[in-house]
Amino acid sequence: MNLEATINGEELTLEVEPGEVLLDVLRRNGFKSVKEGCKTGDCGACMVLVDGRAMTSCTLFAAQVQGAEIKTVEGLNDELAESLRENFLDKGAVQCGFCIPGVLISAYSLLSSNADPTEEEIKAALDGNLCRCTGYVKQIEAIKETAEELGDS
Amino acid sequence: MLKHVTDYHYPGSLEEAASLHDRESRSFFIAGGTALALSDSKRPVELIDVGELGLDELGLDEAEGKIEIGATTSIQRIVEHQGIKSVLNGFLSESLEEIGSYPIRNAGTLGGSLVHPFPWSDVVTILSVLDTEVTYFHNGERKTRDFSRLYEDDFRSELNESVIEKLSIDLEDETSAAASFRKFNRSEFDVAALNLACRINHDQGEIVEARLAAGARPMLAERANEVEEELTGEKLGPELARKAGNMAAQVFELGDDKKISGEYRETLVEKMTADAIKGIYQEVST
Repeated sequence: MNLEATINGEELTLEVEPGEVLLDVLRRNGFKSVKEGCKTGDCGACMVLVDGRAMTSCTLFAAQVQGAEIKTVEGLNDELAESLRENFLDKGAVQCGFCIPGVLISAYSLLSSNADPTEEEIKAALDGNLCRCTGYVKQIEAIKETAEELGDS
Repeated sequence: MLKHVTDYHYPGSLEEAASLHDRESRSFFIAGGTALALSDSKRPVELIDVGELGLDELGLDEAEGKIEIGATTSIQRIVEHQGIKSVLNGFLSESLEEIGSYPIRNAGTLGGSLVHPFPWSDVVTILSVLDTEVTYFHNGERKTRDFSRLYEDDFRSELNESVIEKLSIDLEDETSAAASFRKFNRSEFDVAALNLACRINHDQGEIVEARLAAGARPMLAERANEVEEELTGEKLGPELARKAGNMAAQVFELGDDKKISGEYRETLVEKMTADAIKGIYQEVST
């Protein structure tokens, strides 16, 4: 069957199997920032934005996003995304990097709807992302810093 | 992942969805997809996507004293709804926020939680203590039934074969009610090892009606009618909370599973019941 969706701003028609999950379809089509971790919706490594909302692509059938707008990290290229990237690097919030695309999607989703989140809100937004390296402290700092920077500008 | 999905349908209406389902015995309705995508069933199935049928209306009708929630409304949308945040002093939105993680709540729907409810479902426990009605299509007929009848076998089997349209929560008695939700899980977004909800309708602290439900026992949520009856007519307070906790530990049918033992659950039920009622007492007293 055909899946028609806008992925990172480009209208695409992709051939998918009715039982395929979105994660597999995205990776097969070159969106390699979307990682396969647990494949049970627990780790958040496969997180994407579906119509602006963060979701784990391993728990969605590809056919479910028919007509939707999908964004992966490759497609985040505005001021917010740029500031998040810089702050993640500056704060040392990235170690092995496997979880980072998912974490960035969660952070981007949070700051898109809440420009000045509290630490508790940041922690809640990262609830669905497992990071085994950083302990989250630097990631939380990077998100706070981004909020402050964009709030000042 | 379901490996043997032979077809995926996009019906244009509820009626079409129901008729597709009637035609294919091994078919499932899908909206959020979270649970079905994780199913490891090896039997061939067809999926019927009801996500685009406009069943995601969400509204708080203060004049009518009702919350109407379309079946495919995501859990997270309900959590974020400004009007619902004040219902029962935040009970509904705060308890639903305990479910999974943000991305899971973005995908998971209320209807999906009821069609094939999991024993550890928080949604079932939460709705069990509210005045909830479920509207659904079954065998070409539109029906509305009281959610509390979910425990009756015929209703459960009907829902398994139905397209749920919406849920309606009556808030008529809300001004004199308070509720509390407690959950024990091994990690922040793991499913519940035990969950418990309590709602008390009172007249200046004297209990007019009590509802107490526990889920993940490890079985599906049930109400503790004996405890509810015992509480009715009593004055809210710490001693009553302790007494209700003791009784709940005796009344609820609890068992072992790989998460925790039945004995552990007994201790938890006692503590969670007492804490829930104490919390309600404190809320009512201030």
